[in-house]
Amino acid sequence: MAEESILTDDFLRELMNVGEVDILVGVPTYNSAATVGQVVQAIRAGLLQYFPRQRAVIINADGGSRDGTQELVRAASISDMQNAAHPRALRTLHSISARYEGDPGSSKALYTMLAAADLLRPAACAVISADSNIEPDWIPRLLQPVYHDNLDLITPLYRRHKFDGLLVRNLIYPVIRAIYSKSVREPYGSEVAFSGRLGSYLFGCDLWSEDLGFAGVELFLTVAAINDGFRLAQAFLGSKSTLEHAPADLVRAMRDTVGPLFWTLEHKPATQPTSSNGDSVLTLGGNPEVTLEPRRINRKRLYQMFVDGVVELEPILKSILSAGTLAELQQRAAAGENEFCYSDELWVKTVYEFAASYHKAVISRDHIIQALAPLYRGKIHTFVLENRDSGGEELERHMDALCLTFERFKPYLGELWNGRK
Amino acid sequence: MALAATQDPLWYKDAIIYQVHVRAFYDSNGDGIGDFGGLAQKLDYLKDLGIDTLWLMPFFPSPLRDDGYDIADYRSVHPNYGTLDDFKSFLDAAHKRGIRVIIEMALNHTSDQHPWFQESRSSRDNPRRDWYVWSDTDTRYGGTRIIFLDTELSNWAWDPVSKEYYWHRFFSHQPDLNYDNPAVREEMWDVMRFWLAMGVDAFRLDAVPYLLEREGTNCENLPETHQIIRDFRARLDREFPGRMFLAEANQWPADLRPYFGNGDEFHAAFHFPLMPRMFMGLKLEDRKPITEILQQTPEIPAVCQWFLFLRNHDELTLEMVTDMERDYMYDEYARDRSMRINLGIRRRLAPLLDNDRRRMELMNGMLMSLPGTPIIYYGDEIGMGDNVNLGDRNGVRTPMQWNGGWNGGFSAADPERLYSPLMLNPVYGYPAVNVASQQRFEHSLLSWMKRIINVRRSTPVFGRGSIEFLYPANHRVLAYVRQWQKETILVVNNVSSSAQAVELDLRRYKGNILVEMFGRNIFPRIGDLPYLLTMGPYQFYWFRLRKI
Amino acid sequence: MWEKFVLELTQATQEIVRNVAQFLPRLMVTVIIVLIGWFAAWLLKTIVRSILRLIKFDRLSEDAGATQLLRKAALPSSTELLSRFVFWVAWIGFIMAGVSVLGIVSLQPHISSYFGYLPRLFVAFFLVFFGLLAASFFSRATLLAAVNAGSPSPRLISSTVRTLITVLTISMAFEELGLAERTVLIAFALIFGSLLFGLALAFGLGGRDLARRFLERRFARDTQQEEREDELSPL
Repeated sequence: MAEESILTDDFLRELMNVGEVDILVGVPTYNSAATVGQVVQAIRAGLLQYFPRQRAVIINADGGSRDGTQELVRAASISDMQNAAHPRALRTLHSISARYEGDPGSSKALYTMLAAADLLRPAACAVISADSNIEPDWIPRLLQPVYHDNLDLITPLYRRHKFDGLLVRNLIYPVIRAIYSKSVREPYGSEVAFSGRLGSYLFGCDLWSEDLGFAGVELFLTVAAINDGFRLAQAFLGSKSTLEHAPADLVRAMRDTVGPLFWTLEHKPATQPTSSNGDSVLTLGGNPEVTLEPRRINRKRLYQMFVDGVVELEPILKSILSAGTLAELQQRAAAGENEFCYSDELWVKTVYEFAASYHKAVISRDHIIQALAPLYRGKIHTFVLENRDSGGEELERHMDALCLTFERFKPYLGELWNGRK
Repeated sequence: MALAATQDPLWYKDAIIYQVHVRAFYDSNGDGIGDFGGLAQKLDYLKDLGIDTLWLMPFFPSPLRDDGYDIADYRSVHPNYGTLDDFKSFLDAAHKRGIRVIIEMALNHTSDQHPWFQESRSSRDNPRRDWYVWSDTDTRYGGTRIIFLDTELSNWAWDPVSKEYYWHRFFSHQPDLNYDNPAVREEMWDVMRFWLAMGVDAFRLDAVPYLLEREGTNCENLPETHQIIRDFRARLDREFPGRMFLAEANQWPADLRPYFGNGDEFHAAFHFPLMPRMFMGLKLEDRKPITEILQQTPEIPAVCQWFLFLRNHDELTLEMVTDMERDYMYDEYARDRSMRINLGIRRRLAPLLDNDRRRMELMNGMLMSLPGTPIIYYGDEIGMGDNVNLGDRNGVRTPMQWNGGWNGGFSAADPERLYSPLMLNPVYGYPAVNVASQQRFEHSLLSWMKRIINVRRSTPVFGRGSIEFLYPANHRVLAYVRQWQKETILVVNNVSSSAQAVELDLRRYKGNILVEMFGRNIFPRIGDLPYLLTMGPYQFYWFRLRKI
Repeated sequence: MWEKFVLELTQATQEIVRNVAQFLPRLMVTVIIVLIGWFAAWLLKTIVRSILRLIKFDRLSEDAGATQLLRKAALPSSTELLSRFVFWVAWIGFIMAGVSVLGIVSLQPHISSYFGYLPRLFVAFFLVFFGLLAASFFSRATLLAAVNAGSPSPRLISSTVRTLITVLTISMAFEELGLAERTVLIAFALIFGSLLFGLALAFGLGGRDLARRFLERRFARDTQQEEREDELSPL
């Protein structure tokens, strides 16, 4: 434990005033004033409508906002202190805010929330990101399975465009499905719910000194839940928020997710006996849907960056990939855009070799992740091409095929991991 | 003979009231029914408890189909309870001990057995025809709500005798009097004068919102009704100063406010909506329902007073709560459907609170410290239980349990003759819960009630003072400051079942020493920092603030 | 006369023998020191080698790119090299100590300067090693960043960075060793300075348009971008 507590005196006092709760909803923020108001109001409306008798608290972990984010969160409180008493609220609802030290976006936010949960002992917790487009009826979809049906982890399912979330579709999801034998579609959504039990468990895990970042911790949470015998399910929520600002920088996204994924593979080796075809995970409230409106995608640029990557990063790739894989990549890169195809098999080998190299830390781990970015772009080029005209079902089939390939090559990963290279 | 009129005209602000059924209290003549003779014999018990005002349930002659609220003769006493002389002796005995007496006056309706109604219904031309509200159709005053939902389907009943419909807001055997008729008003004043002259100190006017009907309204709280009340009050002040009118009007506080007028209508009224919210706050472990209803309670004229109660002879009414709140109360307090009646719960205080001594103390503590005059329902001072198997609301009207002997000391008659079965189960039965055993121990509920009444009476602040809520961030603590003239009292209540720490912002009272009122021990002086109190489950503190 | 010669010879021989007799013990001590020294140096080499193996020094040096350099020069691995280096330095030190026992006055200052030199040698060594490590790391980081940002000629940028850092390191090492300090310093300054100047010129001239557009966007609030990013979001 750190010498200094993560809980400041003021925050602790607020927690004391909140007392034991049944439901805890955490919202991490950093300069999120543009969106957090709606998020918190939607959470509040959801709690009032679907959990009117339960004691609930909204806890905001803020990374040092200067735009009034904290005040917006506190404004969602319901108490008898305000003159305009909320007519439909049976109980007081506390909505409190705490500052944490450290970079915004670090796992400190989640750690703060879990520390609060440790003291307030909720039966069910949820974490909602500050820019979520949550609707009030997402609250019961996430929390009822945990609160009433005793499940431990609810990951979200969304209605998304077929070309959204490709990193998850092509890397994160298949790897988790192959290694841990569970088809969790969104291992780190912007909305997730878990039981107090699982929260305590995560709080006690030894991952907080490692800077996995927010998404990284959620990913670890999902894997820990699968691996260590917790009950999980997926709940369909609605459309995933489309970020209005520029799409996430790919490298940063990969650092946030692929890095922690590889780290997790190392620290949480799969314990479940593997079964082929990945154990399906209980799905509640409907299946994920795929929207198909046309999207402008600069395939040429993707291809170009792939080729540049393969060529320029050769010295680095040489220490990461096996000779055979690298040669094949170079061959394909030289083949020209029209003939270019980044096959599933090649992609699987690429990913596994990267994972093994990460494990052995052949060079700095962060560099390994960065080196994967251009190769990923190549894969996306192929994916987009293949699924240009696909509907939801065909997309599913392609993804299943990819997942099966990942599973087929698991022994290969095993060899690499244990040192044949 | 009345208590001297020179005594404080605002006596009702300092009163501690005991609500009792004559027939349930003590039987002096062995017929199985309590009577005035018996009540008179038990006045010492009440005086010892600290009571200074009695509120009697209706004792007029009546077919007793609505527990006495269906009156058949306004100027007499039901033979079950004794004679008019018995009543007078009792009244004198009470006054001698400094105990005032409030009696019921069911103004709105009579029994259909009352001679007036018998005459009125006999024919359409009868001189008393107009004393009640008759109609050819049952469609007039449509949209008026039905009060006894479990038994009545309409506010009109068909009279086979005169072949017309008559209006009744309550049971169909309780036809409403027609207050548009001046003769009715005069007669009712005459009735009241009869009792006032005898020495009765106050009337509880039953069902006042419903006195008059007007088409196109909900027939409640009409301005004309208020005028009638003002007239009565004016006469009261003229002829019998120092007496009081108490309103029974189950309305939202804002709708109740008009009944105080400008201090020229009722002296006092029951604060109905507060009571279910106290129970709700206790279950939610959240003070919010309590503070909110009091925030919504309007200011009343200086001479007027709220009367507060935890339970009474009726069901714990849930009329004045939202649907969500009612469902919550039903689920928490009356899971067994047989406990529900009309829109309420027909249980006594102790069973509602799970026979939890700490909760009973807390609720009584709030009753005694919130702004208003407290009313104790007979038997709640010893924690009596209820019998939901008795029909209607009779489950909370079982005989008073005096000792563990024959009939619980209530009556010498055979148990089968009693007006109501006794409570017999091992938890609430009379061998377990009775006055005699509780008088033996200092730690009994009865002894505790005496003590708290004593502390309450030691200062007029509780009855007469202002109230200002503190809003500590810990929502499980209800804290408020009562002030009157130079005295300030801080009340802190932990409405949760677990220990709490609470920080109070008492900067306005900086420099004061807190003196806890029961043990009279000193607590730290208020400084600049928030005042930290730690409280056990359901604990409450009363602090007197002293600056020395 | 012969007797005098013989006497002189005898005296001279006795003198020599006496000197040698005086000298011999010292020589023996020297030899012993040298032998002990060899043994100690060997022990040290073994210990150092074990330590280096334990901290996976080879991997580090591979990272630094030192291994590749060594391999090109057909030298043994870094661990081995370093261990042997330690051995020689230690043994030579002991030899020096032994020689100083002999009392040959003219050698003394050289011996003490040898010992004085050792720390600087080690410092220089570490400088070079970590400098190479840093050069390799940063050049790799730049390469990756440049490739992922789609910049033109990422290898060039990367090697530039590597060269710069290496040159800086070597200069610092030379300065530490006291070899041709001023020359190296000036040469370094020239190289570094001209490189940067060249870069500035190139960027200034070539990036004129880009700079203009950047400024326009910043200050004129121009919202439309020429070439939009893909409408893909990986997450």
